[in-house]
Amino acid sequence: MTAAQRYDDNPCRPRHFKPPPCAAIVPDGPARLALEACRTRLLVTGTLFALVFAVVALRVVEIVAVGGGTAESQVGRFRIVTASVPSHADIVDRNRNVLAATLDSPSLYANPKQIVDAAEATNRLVKVFPTLGAAEVYAKLTSGKSFVWIKRHLTPAEQYDVNQLGIPGLEFEHEERRVYPDGGLTSHVIGYTGIDNAGFAGVERGLDSLLQGRREPLQLSLDLRLQYILREELQRVVADFTAKGGAGLIMDVNTGEILSMISLPDFDPNRPVAPDPQHPDIPLADRMFNRITLGVYELGSIFKIFTVAMALDAGTSTISSTYDASHPIRIGRFTISDYHGKRRVLSVPEILMYSSNIGAARMAVAAGSQTQREFLARLGLLKAPKIEVSEVGTPHYPPKWREVNVMTIAFGHGVSVTPLSFATAAAALVNGGILRQATLIKLPDGRAPQGQQVISAKTSEQMRRLMRLVVEHGTGTMAAAPGYVVGGKTGTADKVSGKHYAERKLLSSFVGVFPINDPKYLVLTMVDEPHPNKQSHGYATAGWTVAPATSRIIERIAPLLGVQPVDESSPEVRRALMVESLQGKRIEAY
Amino acid sequence: MIKLSTLFWLIVVSTTGFAMFAVKYGVQSLEDELNRTKKAIIAEEHAIRADEAEWAYLTRPETLDEMNRRHLSLGPIVTKQLRSTFTDIPLRAATPAAVDAPLVTVVEPPAEGAPATILASTIAPASPGKPAEAPELAKPSPAKAFAKPALPRRPRSLDELIAQVTAGR
Repeated sequence: MTAAQRYDDNPCRPRHFKPPPCAAIVPDGPARLALEACRTRLLVTGTLFALVFAVVALRVVEIVAVGGGTAESQVGRFRIVTASVPSHADIVDRNRNVLAATLDSPSLYANPKQIVDAAEATNRLVKVFPTLGAAEVYAKLTSGKSFVWIKRHLTPAEQYDVNQLGIPGLEFEHEERRVYPDGGLTSHVIGYTGIDNAGFAGVERGLDSLLQGRREPLQLSLDLRLQYILREELQRVVADFTAKGGAGLIMDVNTGEILSMISLPDFDPNRPVAPDPQHPDIPLADRMFNRITLGVYELGSIFKIFTVAMALDAGTSTISSTYDASHPIRIGRFTISDYHGKRRVLSVPEILMYSSNIGAARMAVAAGSQTQREFLARLGLLKAPKIEVSEVGTPHYPPKWREVNVMTIAFGHGVSVTPLSFATAAAALVNGGILRQATLIKLPDGRAPQGQQVISAKTSEQMRRLMRLVVEHGTGTMAAAPGYVVGGKTGTADKVSGKHYAERKLLSSFVGVFPINDPKYLVLTMVDEPHPNKQSHGYATAGWTVAPATSRIIERIAPLLGVQPVDESSPEVRRALMVESLQGKRIEAY
Repeated sequence: MIKLSTLFWLIVVSTTGFAMFAVKYGVQSLEDELNRTKKAIIAEEHAIRADEAEWAYLTRPETLDEMNRRHLSLGPIVTKQLRSTFTDIPLRAATPAAVDAPLVTVVEPPAEGAPATILASTIAPASPGKPAEAPELAKPSPAKAFAKPALPRRPRSLDELIAQVTAGR
């Protein structure tokens, strides 16, 4: 009997009364050792438990009070669905019209092991997809495999129809497809993609890495409306003059943004290899060829603006200098003559206005080969242009810059450049002399990129006056668009075929800037191998082919671009564009 | 004999146990709902993308031009129609006859020498009794409607376009 028992026997014991502690019985010997070992173990275990609970308690405090978000992120990794990002970002124009989109395109596959009635399933599938062969589908469904493709890339409507069939064993695999709603209209700019949506041409290839995994659409500087107008007018020129091709470019001269870029013939990026239904005979390579960025051409007389700008900027000629253009120049085996010679001494404005090869050649010789080469290099004409599309052409120029080269380059033969490089350089001549790299990416409003001063502002102003003269009285009168004060230059080049120039094969081009008194936009149009027609009185030169097209283009695009028409005969415009050396003289018509 | 404290702890344990499971299942069902909603959002996003592409396809400049040719016959803005200053805009004609004029007139540049003013009739508001059924609108001249050569089969919808794309690859 222990003491405790004895106390419990007492019925009067108060509830809170506790028996006094007994005197500790301290056994001796092995019993004592065992007891002490027990105590130590208890202590260790107790401490461990306390530690673990402390960790749990701390973690609870951390989750609740400090960083509650971490728990959710841990869960989300396993359970929460995350939003899907398309493999390639959309491409939109400057007004946010979709030019390229990545769409869901489910593919249908079957698990034949789960198909209950293959014959019935085949009948119903063939009704939804009339292009599929019944025998082929039946063979697939009875193959005994566990995975067979039925049809790749379904449209949303087809997917709905298949779901409506309710056949067990049919499944969809999620795939993506790049779609170009505007088809051929943007073909050479946007390019196209292959399997797995990898970029094969144009911006799709040039900016492929930028487009991948991007959520925000990529905004180009392109304007779809301008693109349509430019393409329509170029198609008209190509059809009217039964030409081999055409190309055009609209550029903001103050920022370098390209608002429109067309190369004809073109292709449908949705079906890049399919033949053109209207012209099945045009080879694919020709349609894929980007004449603006990849093609290099001897552009002919439109190059004379560079010759004049060079001579004026270097100070080797002034606006009132005169050059003898009465006789053709014979140098080596070449004879340089004028297409419509005036056979007299011409002043600098007249050389540009009447497009005199002899005059331009004499001007260039006066400036010297070193000056000419340096000037062209400064304008970026001797290297491949930098642009967001993947296709760029490297210019051709003579390795040794001899006198004959100087003369021919003065009127645009002997140096081949891409029309893009030409337009970029021409923009610098009129915008105050600042060369800015052309771009297809829309720049933030009102922020022109840092440029490079390549000619003086004074020379640029003189160039504006001279280019206005060409449209007012010279070879480009048909490019006039009343109210929009167009200035420009025509160019008709003989194409090289083999080792000689082919007389009948022309490359007619026109560079127009409007309004030339305060330059905003540049329009470059080009037509490859035009043939004369009745309306053009037997001419296929630039003045008769692309100059009228430029006039129509400017009249249509100027209202869209917010350019206000002005009275061209008003004193302010006249004063801004007057050429002093011609004041008071009678200007001969071209 | 059941001690009161034992009963208390039993109740506490069962309550917390119940509460824990209740919260757990609550969270699970909320997660399921979240997943369902997110999936629905993704499906909607895909549908919006498809609709945007379809809209872009249906409002191609080419289609708009064709529809304009067929229904409106509007022409490009001619320089003479633009006025640069406020005083250039002529006052509205006071005669009520102008209201009977068609809402949209076929744009023809005025003949040389004719006064280049915008007639009030071209900008007169539509009167309710005269809906856009002016003869000019109802039947465009055949020459204009078919000025463009008939194109070969163009896909009618985005679905058809995608189908053609697929067939072409």
